[in-house]
Amino acid sequence: MDSIWNPYAALAAATRRTLGVGAVAAVLVLWSVVAASGLVGPTKLPAPWAVVSALSYLSWHEGESLLLTATLWSVGRVLAAGVLVVLVGIPIGILMGAAPRINALLSPLVDPFRSAPVVALLPILVMWLGIGETMKIVFLFIGAVVYLIPLVRDAVQAVPQTHCISTRDLGATPWECIGKAIVPMAMPRIADAVIVSVSVMWTYITVAEYVNAQEGLGQLIQNARRFSAMDQVFAGIIVIIALALVTYQLMLLVKQKLYPWEAKV
Amino acid sequence: MTAAEARDAAPAGVTVSLALQNIVQEYPAADGGIARVIDGVDIAFDKPGINMLLGPSGCGKSTLLHMMGGVRPFGVATPTSGTVLIDGKPCIGAHDDAVMVFQRYANRPDLSVFGNVAFPFRLSLWKRRVPEAQRRQRVDEMLTAVGLADKTKLFPAQLSGGQNQRVALARALVLRPRILLLDEPFGALDAPTREEMQKLLVELYASRPCLIVFVTHDVTEALALGDRVVVLSTQPAKVADDIRIDEPRPRSSSWLRSAEASRVEERILTQLHKVSAGKGAVRVTI
Repeated sequence: MDSIWNPYAALAAATRRTLGVGAVAAVLVLWSVVAASGLVGPTKLPAPWAVVSALSYLSWHEGESLLLTATLWSVGRVLAAGVLVVLVGIPIGILMGAAPRINALLSPLVDPFRSAPVVALLPILVMWLGIGETMKIVFLFIGAVVYLIPLVRDAVQAVPQTHCISTRDLGATPWECIGKAIVPMAMPRIADAVIVSVSVMWTYITVAEYVNAQEGLGQLIQNARRFSAMDQVFAGIIVIIALALVTYQLMLLVKQKLYPWEAKV
Repeated sequence: MTAAEARDAAPAGVTVSLALQNIVQEYPAADGGIARVIDGVDIAFDKPGINMLLGPSGCGKSTLLHMMGGVRPFGVATPTSGTVLIDGKPCIGAHDDAVMVFQRYANRPDLSVFGNVAFPFRLSLWKRRVPEAQRRQRVDEMLTAVGLADKTKLFPAQLSGGQNQRVALARALVLRPRILLLDEPFGALDAPTREEMQKLLVELYASRPCLIVFVTHDVTEALALGDRVVVLSTQPAKVADDIRIDEPRPRSSSWLRSAEASRVEERILTQLHKVSAGKGAVRVTI
């Protein structure tokens, strides 16, 4: 049973790390070789070292950090939209999960957007809200909230019915049953839903910042592309990926701290 | 006073009655017709005691118990006709004095052992009924009584099946219900644990008697625990027999092997074989 074709085999941490680092290193080596060989020009594929020097140039040049400013703008937008998404999405998702009638009413309005191209809404939002901050935040909000609501609803519905029956038997009112039993038990999955939604926002942030690009990582990338500074485009993308990863890990950590019991189930 | 007379006198301070009157339950059948699964069940319990509701698997005994608890499975109207009376009054919905314990415990994974047992006191009903000063003490006492005093900080996932069922029992008994409804509470446990839990239930009952309705398909369990054994037939469920057992608890294994116990067992098995005739299953574990 100890073959590599065993989906249940426990992998030693060292093995996992070696394989992961190896894969990244292999891509870097391949990338370096292709770039150094001159087969692909630097305006299409900048060398890794060119990307590193672009990163350092963006991080600090003539007394200012373009990268830090751009990052703060992007993080700020994700944060603002994220707060809105959580404040609106979680209550609506809980209501839909708790009451089939509300679910029947709202799911035709929410569910289709999960598979619809939210990016296609951008021109409409620009028409309605202009090209300022409001449009960007609303775009991020819509992009993420259509993921969050159905996931929260599913989290609530996934709590086994026995818990509802037994809580009601103890004399809980319907509201107490939802508020004091169902939702607390659904919280880890709701937290997962928030994490997914924030990840979605990191994929939409550049799109939001392409329009009327003035600040932010999307603008930085867009601007660099305009001047064919491919090394800076790569640098910007790497920073966004890093930010998304860091937020993901941080939120996962917070979730595990908040709901330690989930690991025991 | 004889043992039988002692049993007939209600334990001090607890008055309670629970009655099923002409209960009928019908479900839409697979063939498009209507299947009558419970056909005119009349049972009355009028004092504290351990009452066993015994019948083959799937005969509808759990459905009857759920009716007594006022717990309706979602989507089906129960009962189709008939009345459940608690203290002489028709019972609609979950009754405050009747608490259920389920075979699969229904313990909260997100709460510790203490949190699970203390959970009812977070509900407005029990906040109103039990003064705050008493709650903590009651929970502590109950945890000691079920033998979990040293496990209060653990979570259900860290407990064995028997320990989980202790938590569920404690959560019900901490409310000091006058009616305790047990739905095959030890059915998921292995034999030694089951016996241990039966012993615990006998102790808990002795310290605070209430009206217990205990659903089981285990004849031995009925013999070990019941003051009264109501035998149900199956498809449709009807009361096939109603037997009183006067032997005081705890009942020794020698009594369980005695001629008297064998006679009762024989009588129960005869009824079950007569009515079940291959439908459902009855477990005998001696």
